[in-house]
Amino acid sequence: MTRPVRVLLAKPTHDCHDRGVRYVARKFRDAGFEVIFTNFLLPAEIVNTAVQEDVQVVGVSSSSGGHMPVFEDLIAGLKDQGLDDVMLLGGGVIPNEDADTLRQWGVKAIFGPGTTAEDAIDMIRAWADGQDG
Amino acid sequence: MFDERTLAQSKDLAARREADYQRIVEKFGNKAPAQARHPMTHSGLPIKTAYYPHDIAGLDFSTIGAPGQEPFTRGNLAAQYQLMNWANQPVIGYGLPEDTRARMDLLASQGMVGYFGQRFYNLVYDLVSHEGLDPDHPAARGRIGQCGMAVYSVADMERLFHDMNLKEMNVVHITYYQVIPALAQYIAYAERQGVAPGELRGNSMNWYHQSAYVGMSAFPPAAGLKLAVELIGYCSQHMPRWNTTNFFGYGIEEAGGSAIQEIGLMLAFGIELVRACEKAGLAPDAVLPRFGFQIAQANDFFEEVCKIRALRRIWATTMQERFGAKDPRSMHVRIHTHTSGACLTAQQPIVNLIRTTLHAFGAALSGTQAMEVSAYDEALSIPTEEAATLALRVQQVIQEETNITAVSDPLAGSYYVEALTDQIAEAALALAEQVEAQGGYVAAQQSGWIRREVEGSADRWREMVNDGQRQVVGLNCYQVEEETPAGLFKVDPEVERVAVERIQGLRAERDGARHAKAMQAFADAAGAFAAKDIADLGDGALMQAAIEAARADASTGEMMGVLKSALGWGPPHEF
Repeated sequence: MTRPVRVLLAKPTHDCHDRGVRYVARKFRDAGFEVIFTNFLLPAEIVNTAVQEDVQVVGVSSSSGGHMPVFEDLIAGLKDQGLDDVMLLGGGVIPNEDADTLRQWGVKAIFGPGTTAEDAIDMIRAWADGQDG
Repeated sequence: MFDERTLAQSKDLAARREADYQRIVEKFGNKAPAQARHPMTHSGLPIKTAYYPHDIAGLDFSTIGAPGQEPFTRGNLAAQYQLMNWANQPVIGYGLPEDTRARMDLLASQGMVGYFGQRFYNLVYDLVSHEGLDPDHPAARGRIGQCGMAVYSVADMERLFHDMNLKEMNVVHITYYQVIPALAQYIAYAERQGVAPGELRGNSMNWYHQSAYVGMSAFPPAAGLKLAVELIGYCSQHMPRWNTTNFFGYGIEEAGGSAIQEIGLMLAFGIELVRACEKAGLAPDAVLPRFGFQIAQANDFFEEVCKIRALRRIWATTMQERFGAKDPRSMHVRIHTHTSGACLTAQQPIVNLIRTTLHAFGAALSGTQAMEVSAYDEALSIPTEEAATLALRVQQVIQEETNITAVSDPLAGSYYVEALTDQIAEAALALAEQVEAQGGYVAAQQSGWIRREVEGSADRWREMVNDGQRQVVGLNCYQVEEETPAGLFKVDPEVERVAVERIQGLRAERDGARHAKAMQAFADAAGAFAAKDIADLGDGALMQAAIEAARADASTGEMMGVLKSALGWGPPHEF
């Protein structure tokens, strides 16, 4: 039997728009994922938690701007720790232009307004199945 | 309120209509929408499909009353929009102080006015300030001048307000928890202009209570309550024209809370705060007239109007009965409406103008004192100039063209409106009592109960949208294929470089000895403050020390650093 997917969801400490990501966290848990939810000041904190918690998926929610430097540092930090194979996701209010850049940087998907938790759950499951195979 | 004959007729006609109604609904069988059989408000209150005199016959007319008369259900004042329209108070703030000033001047030139033509500025600080950091902190990158203005010192206040007469304007400082540093810097800047604190008009938010339902890092709840009382104590001695506290109901609605939760939880916090002020020796009639509310206006048109009417009633009666308030101003609910941002969509964004117009119209009918209309593009980015101006126009069209300002509380007397107002008032009072039964707002905040209640409501809404019970145009119905609009607002990357350069310049140029001394005194005051009970507050010692630090050019990040280490700081909610 495959072990449950472990997902880290992170939100900047200054970002009050956490209604969406906390909903997603509950839906992920209901879907059988093991969810770690954390607030971060610096991207290095996400990297540390990802290492300690041995997660396969990292999702960052940002609805107040400032997401590009966060992803830049996060991607570099994960690479340093040898976690290049972690599935990286974004969500919140991220303009399309930035989303295109983020995908080029290796972020698998950006879940903006109009997407559902189920969309993300399906994508993570499909990805995890691919990893197991 | 009605004579026997009218009531008999009312019941008779209602019974006939109900019979007809049921017959028609039955014909539709399974095709009848749920709302036809079990109508509900958005907060889940059961309602009827038509209302009659007998639905409000049990109401005591004194709970409705007259505009300007207790319990103020129908508005605070006898003369309302007839003499003084609600104030246009768009939230402004992005980029460098100079950028924000340009937007202030633009909107002022477009007719943004407060009461009696006075200048009114509703200014929001940026994410770096909110976090209590300086712009050269590693976590500031990408957040400088975002969602607010990069103002971190008295020098930045000068860049923002130069050439303006602070005595003739009203400034709302929208902060998270950097309330005391921001006010201290404003006071220190005013002094340099020769303006005394007592001459300043405006608002501090003082809304530490919002950490009960939103997740940004915060001071612990009990420390937050003390900080709120500290500012109220200082202002009651030195700033009689300053509005000290804002009840942030809007945040509850945005976090997914219902109309009932919004006003019920704010009443519960009001009880907690006035009780704390009393303990600190601040009499209810001395502090209550300087409290205000930020309230959302969301989609359920009548429920949102009735929510405002109910809030005015339960606030007045609670403050009178529980705390012996006598001054009418202590019983008034002064409302800054913020039309709901959470109701807006990224899809077909221009449609948001229609939503915000309905929200603003409802707020106007409910008799609000000031209004911010959300910009139609705010689900996509910081509003563009065009969007910000159109949001102002929404208010101006309602004020100038609809004639609704002629009559106060124009919906009063509607059987539905009066019945629903009463229903909401009772439900909100019951919620506030539930909080009291747990030991009060701070206890319910500490246990996580408030957050769980609000999140439960948010989840119910989401599930209803997901399964189509709640329709959102463009999101789960009437969708179109669309391109993301071009020309979204972006903060100039140059802002970051300049802000960092400025803070480093400030540190190099200020009087180091004076700064060090003032910061030491502030740290001592913060340490003493942390050890104090609420009963020992009220002398404004912490606030005085913060002003002295601001005079010595202390930055927001430096002052917040002191408060964080003295009081504790961190994300307020477990998952």
